[in-house]
Amino acid sequence: MIKRYRTAIIAVSAVLIGLQIAGSGGFPKSWNIHLSDPINTWQSWIRSNRSHHWLFTYLLNPITSVVEFGLDKTEAFISWLPWFIPAIIVFAIIARTGKWVVAGFAAFAVIYPGIVGVWPQSIETISLMAVSVAISVIIGVPLGVWTALNKRVESILRPILDAMQTVPATVYLIPIVLLFGIGKVPAAIATVVYALPPMVRLTSLGIQQVPHSAIEAGQMFGATKRQILARIQLPLALPSIIAGINQTVMMALGIVVIATLVGAGGLGQEIMQTVRQLSPGRGLVVSLAVVSVAFVLDRVSLALVRNPGSTQFQPSRKQWIVFTGALVAATIIGRLLGWHEFPFSWGTSFADPVDTGVIWFRDTFSFITHPFNDFIVRDVLVRSQKLLNNSLSWQFIVVAASAVVYAIAGWKLSLTTAIGIVLIGLTGRWPDAVDTLSQTLVAVLISILIALPIGIWLGRRPRAEAALSPILDSLQTIPPLIYAIPFVMIFTVGPVPGVIAAVVYSIPPGIRLTSLGIRQVDTESIEAATTFGATDRQVLWGVRIPLAMPSIILAINQMVMMVLAMAIIAGMVGGGGLGYRSIEALTGPNKGLGAEVGIAIVIMATILDRLTQSTAKRLQAPAAI
Amino acid sequence: MFVHGDALNAIEVRNVWKVFGQGSPDEAIALAKAGSTRQDIITSIDQTVAVRDVSFSVARGETFVVMGLSGSGKSTLIRCLSRLIEPTSGEVLLNGEDLLAMDADQLREVRRGKISMVFQHFGLFPHRKVIDNIAYGLEVQKVDKATRLARANEVLNIVGLDGWADRYPQQLSGGMQQRVGLARALAVDPEILLFDEPFSALDPLIRKEMQDELIRLQKSMQRTIIFITHDFAEALRLGDRIAIMKDGSFDQVGTPEEIVSNPATPYVREFVNDVPRAKVLSVRTVTVSGDAPAGARTVSATSRIETVIPMLLERDEAIQVVDETGASIGIVNRHNVASMLQAEQR
Repeated sequence: MIKRYRTAIIAVSAVLIGLQIAGSGGFPKSWNIHLSDPINTWQSWIRSNRSHHWLFTYLLNPITSVVEFGLDKTEAFISWLPWFIPAIIVFAIIARTGKWVVAGFAAFAVIYPGIVGVWPQSIETISLMAVSVAISVIIGVPLGVWTALNKRVESILRPILDAMQTVPATVYLIPIVLLFGIGKVPAAIATVVYALPPMVRLTSLGIQQVPHSAIEAGQMFGATKRQILARIQLPLALPSIIAGINQTVMMALGIVVIATLVGAGGLGQEIMQTVRQLSPGRGLVVSLAVVSVAFVLDRVSLALVRNPGSTQFQPSRKQWIVFTGALVAATIIGRLLGWHEFPFSWGTSFADPVDTGVIWFRDTFSFITHPFNDFIVRDVLVRSQKLLNNSLSWQFIVVAASAVVYAIAGWKLSLTTAIGIVLIGLTGRWPDAVDTLSQTLVAVLISILIALPIGIWLGRRPRAEAALSPILDSLQTIPPLIYAIPFVMIFTVGPVPGVIAAVVYSIPPGIRLTSLGIRQVDTESIEAATTFGATDRQVLWGVRIPLAMPSIILAINQMVMMVLAMAIIAGMVGGGGLGYRSIEALTGPNKGLGAEVGIAIVIMATILDRLTQSTAKRLQAPAAI
Repeated sequence: MFVHGDALNAIEVRNVWKVFGQGSPDEAIALAKAGSTRQDIITSIDQTVAVRDVSFSVARGETFVVMGLSGSGKSTLIRCLSRLIEPTSGEVLLNGEDLLAMDADQLREVRRGKISMVFQHFGLFPHRKVIDNIAYGLEVQKVDKATRLARANEVLNIVGLDGWADRYPQQLSGGMQQRVGLARALAVDPEILLFDEPFSALDPLIRKEMQDELIRLQKSMQRTIIFITHDFAEALRLGDRIAIMKDGSFDQVGTPEEIVSNPATPYVREFVNDVPRAKVLSVRTVTVSGDAPAGARTVSATSRIETVIPMLLERDEAIQVVDETGASIGIVNRHNVASMLQAEQR
């Protein structure tokens, strides 16, 4: 292997040494193409034309009014209802499936925000959620059907959807803020943009996964295309569509915090405040409100899907009327008695012990945390940044990176990498990108060291996995910013809390995918190894892990993507880099900066994503012919 | 038993080709006509000739079985007959009308009324109850609800599933699911039934039961059936005539007896070797000339050899063989039958 490539390796090394000697450290500043200028020009154009140009008077302003109307009415309606009505409805929907305990929990989750004193804020968030999700469904389902049925539409839409998911939320908030201003409407629109991709994807997936035989049967009976779509494909895709709505809700909740940067208010606003006050306890209490909203919406959407043949309780028409009547009566009585506001609040009394605990932890373990912080910052991050910014010439970096990518993924991605790195240099974001990249790599490394062993361990213990599963789930629904708060208190502001928050955020899917891979290894292969007398350890290292490798690489891929997505959060807690720049762009006057940051992040994400995916592909056993 | 003439044939298939792959199929067809094998064509131009110049006709009420192993092109062929897969060239005449020349509307009309299909993996709709699965064909035709449910219940009875109407397909066993598939196909009262390996997903005992069921139903309904299978024994049991398909074309077409007594190619012989001939061949094939002693037992020339074996074991005495009119055409004795059975051993 090495012999075969010896000439190539020597040649590349010679070129690299030459470049290192001849080249210069850091990307030349004079080459900056000033990408932000046209955007800033556009910004001032918008400012001067907002009141009279047709784009605003005939298109954007009407959209704003419609969305605003929806938001206001939804919020007004939910606030108008007596506080216990939503809990009853949620309970009834879930209890209908026979899951009484879950229904009870969900009903409690509905009133939890009231108990901790964020009732109005949670109504604001739920209304924003409801309107955004409704818009996503109205746009996403038809688009998903269209992409499933039309290859060309799919090939156009797929890369757009990919980009929509990699561009950091703060970056595409910028054009939205420019066009729609600050407030709830741009927040709702940003949420739609962010939450739309899973809706489209899962609808499309659902339609495509309809068994071919069912469609053939429809065709054989002479059904028209429309009959096949309406009576066979859509009903069979329904579970997937509901899963899409579910995902959309979760995505929408995911940007609750970021949406407050453009004035969404609600629970996100509360969470931002807890960060400013450095109160992890309050942060926890409020984010549990977000978690409970997520839990309720998740369970309700699951309860709404009816599996064919399930023994689910089907209310008769009479029972419906009685239930609805009772509900209306309860509402009227509640209104007459003035029970629309939540009656009591225990406020932050849960929060204080948590705060005390974190402070205790900080003071007690400072002999570990301080050296750790210093090690990561001084010895790892600063050194690697110095290496990439000053010691190594930029030409060296471009060629070396493309050579490595070439060896793994071939010339196409190698070329993309070279062009991408140069482009990052040209936008003038080289130092920021280096900053973010070094933090990302450190976080990914830590995540791998934690997630893979746990995943491999869990993969062989289904019961342990089932027990851990709710914890992993809730880790994924807590707004990532919340993770950062205790770490900010423990490590003070800087890159380390961001790195650790990113690790916590990315570990659950890493564990999930790894254990899934280990579990899905073909039983026959394992039985074969066992009958040959392989020990458990031999089965693990010789059969399970090699066969699960594609899944494990995919886990790493997911972790890389999630860590990158956390770059913004890192920016909020003092991590610097691209994340910080994107917030600067969003909240400050230089909106053009956002485009530069966006391009840099998308380039990094694309390269890392493709690179890990093609590694996974290489490790996959060859497919049958 | 069946008269093969244009006027009476329910289906007439002429020179049907199907080529899969990128680009024009002309080259592949030219190569195939020049004698290239399927594998040669895949290697040289990366196209697959799945169906290769197939012609046959099926008489009204006949059961025509296409038997082939996986990759022989049989599934593609049956899909070409209903245009679920568009044939590359050729003609498929249904009562003299060319199916391939029809536009989408005409084709849909044919599928609604004339042809039905039963699928290998049942192709049932998991989101519909059994009864609504069966009524599907009528629903597509916009038949009103009462009528279609009445008809569906009627067919449900015929296939022996009364009482299961309100279940969902996935709550039924495989054999029962295929009964639903059969009922769904019968509900629209089609002239022609296409079966795409309908019983191959079932376990052997259930498969046999379903074959018997089909034979029983066919006795009373007399539809034109085209039946695809990879199971030679099934082909022998069900087929009035059988086509053996290999690499996209027919190796041999004939009645079960013709094929078993006279396999046309080494490939067909491979299958025939494993067949218990006494169960397939008629007494006629082992009849020798001669006269039986007066008062001897008689047997019809068309009955299977297996029916005379117990008779010969009971008493070693020649048996008189008679044709349909009762006239003697010769005799069978222990010796004839034993040598036939010995030939099978080789």
